[in-house]
Amino acid sequence: MAKKLSSQNRNSVRIKINGNWREFSLGTDSSCEINPTMTLSYFLREKLGFTGLKVACNEGACGACTILMDGKTVLSCMMLAVQAEGHEVVTIEGLEKNDPVVEAFAQQCAPGYGTALQCGLCTPGFVMSAKALLKENPRPNIGEVKEALSGHICRCGCYSGVAQAVMHAGEKIANKGECHE
Amino acid sequence: MNNPRPYTPRTPRKFIGGYRPRIDGQEKASGKVKFVDDITLKSNYPDMLYAKVLRSPYAHAKIKSMDTSAAAALPGVRAILTYQDPEFASLRVTNAGWTDGVDTVSYDRMMWRHFRDRRVLGDHACWATDEVGAVVAAESEEIAEEALRLIKVEWEVLPFVLDPLEAMKPGAPIIHADISPNNILPKDIIGGEDVFVNRGNVDHAFAEADIVVEDTSIHHNATQASLDNWCCLVDWKDDKITVRSNSFEADQSRMHISEMLNIPIHKVRIISSYVGGQFGRGDTGDQPFFLFTALLSKKTGCPVKFRHTRRDSFHDSRQPAIYRGKMGARKDGTITAMQFKSIGNAGAYADHTMFALKFAPTEITEVALAHIPNIKMESYGVYTNKLPACMMRGVGNSQFNLIFGHMVDMLAEKLVMDPIDLAIKNFGHEWGSRPDKSLLAVLKEGAERIGWKSKRHKPGKYPGVKKQGVGFSFHPAWHAEWQEARRGEIQVGITLNTDCTVMLEAPTVETGTGSNTCNVLGCAEALSFLGITPSDILWPHVVDTETSLKDCVQTDSAVAYLQSEVIAHAARDLKIRLLEKAAKVMKQKIEDLDILEGNVFLKNSKRASMTVKELMNSGDLIPIVIRLGRAPNSEKTGVPYIATFAEVEVDTETGKVEVLKLVVLNDCGTVMFASGAEAQQIGGQCMGLGEALTEEIIYDEATGVPLNFNLIDYKIPTMADMPEIEPVLMEVWKGAGEYGACGIGEGTVTCTPRAVLNAIYNAIGVRINDIPIKPEKVLVALGKA
Repeated sequence: MAKKLSSQNRNSVRIKINGNWREFSLGTDSSCEINPTMTLSYFLREKLGFTGLKVACNEGACGACTILMDGKTVLSCMMLAVQAEGHEVVTIEGLEKNDPVVEAFAQQCAPGYGTALQCGLCTPGFVMSAKALLKENPRPNIGEVKEALSGHICRCGCYSGVAQAVMHAGEKIANKGECHE
Repeated sequence: MNNPRPYTPRTPRKFIGGYRPRIDGQEKASGKVKFVDDITLKSNYPDMLYAKVLRSPYAHAKIKSMDTSAAAALPGVRAILTYQDPEFASLRVTNAGWTDGVDTVSYDRMMWRHFRDRRVLGDHACWATDEVGAVVAAESEEIAEEALRLIKVEWEVLPFVLDPLEAMKPGAPIIHADISPNNILPKDIIGGEDVFVNRGNVDHAFAEADIVVEDTSIHHNATQASLDNWCCLVDWKDDKITVRSNSFEADQSRMHISEMLNIPIHKVRIISSYVGGQFGRGDTGDQPFFLFTALLSKKTGCPVKFRHTRRDSFHDSRQPAIYRGKMGARKDGTITAMQFKSIGNAGAYADHTMFALKFAPTEITEVALAHIPNIKMESYGVYTNKLPACMMRGVGNSQFNLIFGHMVDMLAEKLVMDPIDLAIKNFGHEWGSRPDKSLLAVLKEGAERIGWKSKRHKPGKYPGVKKQGVGFSFHPAWHAEWQEARRGEIQVGITLNTDCTVMLEAPTVETGTGSNTCNVLGCAEALSFLGITPSDILWPHVVDTETSLKDCVQTDSAVAYLQSEVIAHAARDLKIRLLEKAAKVMKQKIEDLDILEGNVFLKNSKRASMTVKELMNSGDLIPIVIRLGRAPNSEKTGVPYIATFAEVEVDTETGKVEVLKLVVLNDCGTVMFASGAEAQQIGGQCMGLGEALTEEIIYDEATGVPLNFNLIDYKIPTMADMPEIEPVLMEVWKGAGEYGACGIGEGTVTCTPRAVLNAIYNAIGVRINDIPIKPEKVLVALGKA
């Protein structure tokens, strides 16, 4: 949980990114790390190198830029970087090694459903939405998975594999009794 | 939910054919895989500039004059080049149809050399958003965009035409007068005459036939919509050009740049790695933007990055086609005659229009229609001011199947025959007998899985408001190995390290198809005498023309097995080299030795004399390197069949079509990697169903401007839109090689629209032949709107 009171300093932005509070300079000058018109996705990718999130449509239609903010999914292309002030942001780079959702996506090969990814461009977005879903609803049924992930486009069309991976991840987490993000 | 029934391999093998994760699953799922846009960050290239190109606001216009002075004065703008600069004025005319990706071609040998209709940067805009006139390199994308707004352009706005039937009429606006005086693409040496197939005598055969059916089907503009927007970084330093891009054809990109910019091949370096989906987009790295980005780099001395926005990425599309079809048969169901006439909307540039309209149907005629005595096919590609139509997954086949499956369904109804029986009676391939075993197996299995016997009813006879129905369509698969002969030599390499790990060279740009996993499995299989597993094999994901062998291009869905066939031969060569080494070290004759499970044996003693690791650690500790080039086996083995069965429910009050279930069947010859193959079968339905029901580019008829170049209004199915899909892998047919597999990825899209349309007809008893089937079309067909 995040929401710290924002610093009154208008020349900087504080964001907790993947576990660490960081402060970034704010201004219209090109030397500033964040400028007021910069989207969060641009800032995370281009300035910080968190390239796991993708900008495929840049208008909130495809879900590839999905990250977690205070544990809930947000489309980072539809937010300004300054709006993350005082919040906790988690990108796919911030997930733990051996994250059960990542593993389930990577390993999906249950017959009848194909793999959970092909080209892999949309996958980090799906993974982040799946993380948020499983936190709210640890054992979703197929209808709930479809509803939760219907904001994402996978042009390779691996939706069956994705659904299996999410349900397997739910099982895995429940069996381990693991606490996750 | 599915009740999965995994397939049983015809020949049990150690690695090939298994259900297992992808080799790149972990890297991709964790977001660690770098696509070109991820690699080309400013932090990696501090002196990088950004390119933008001027886009036409008009569907058809010429630039009369241009003033770039205000743009040039904008701080941060580093270079502006226009169509009038000698850099562009001196370049040869080109097109984006150099090759279908199968073979690598030079300028003189480009596939559609009769239709060189593009300037790299010209003054003639042929569709709204055409990339023309001027390019800018600036310190940021925003500055580059602002500079474009500051360029004063005086346009001569020309009349435009969107509909190919209108474009064919006298008096229509002419789009490329130097190529066609009437917008109709002239005959060319690859596509052939307007009437490109003419077997027997169709007029006579139709006159004699007991039953004749005739109808139309229309396939609209759909776009590939790869999520990985076009992106390249070009660095031209001194006499050398280095390009990073998400083109899926490294070697052809190098040829394109070398030939167009007159740079020796060894001074052009192309680096490609992971690509976020291809689906036939802009086929072969012959896009003009590679060249203008290169020229901006030369001008500024800096690396220059060019990338499309999502809107820009609506850059090419499936060839839309209006097909008229006619079939005639005897009362006993013997099909005696077929006639197809198509009019394709080429859009603004010809590109691969004639591939879709002529080349693909000719191939189908050679295999699936071998037993039909009278066939006539005729095609016209027509220029209009729409988005150019190019390659898209299943090029030409999807359009042809829409009319083909339609005719089969109609004819069966008139004959009072099950369309499955009609298909089995008439189709096969030239090198086999009928009934064709593959077609029979695919259709019987599909019928059983969809519940054909219990669910198929007389058209429109399902009770109630929400009407259900079933339908199917089938198609010959492509490509078998013999159909890939045009590729020439396929090059692979195996390096055996002293610890018995392996470096595999099987260069191909990874676009998601899963061929990388197929090749690692194929390599492990072929090297099973070493006792190794797939995890002992490194598959390098980077294709770099400076160090890699020639890349095998991800086209025809064939890479999944083509490289594995050559790897099998390379593995035999490696075994010989090991035996030679063992004979020396062990002081034995080669013929007395064998290698099994990582051990070198004396054949007659059956006892391991030494392990391969021990052998490799004897002497100089230098890896064994095998590099092998081999052309595909050209023995003609015919092709297997594919089919899709669909069950739908149509709400006759609202017109909404819901697909309840799809069964997707592929006779693969040999399944190389079951989970990957299923992913192709399931994944193809996103595109197939999208094209059938929702995906369509919409134009403002008054201005010719496209209205939905975004993923909100261009409707790609999401998870919530997809029905239950049952993937069925089969091994009935077999090709010539070690595996005798065929491609499956593209074909999984091909039969879906027609299967859905036939199911809709079965449900409501009225045919709608114009995809996508949106609710308003259903209501119109039912007389309710």
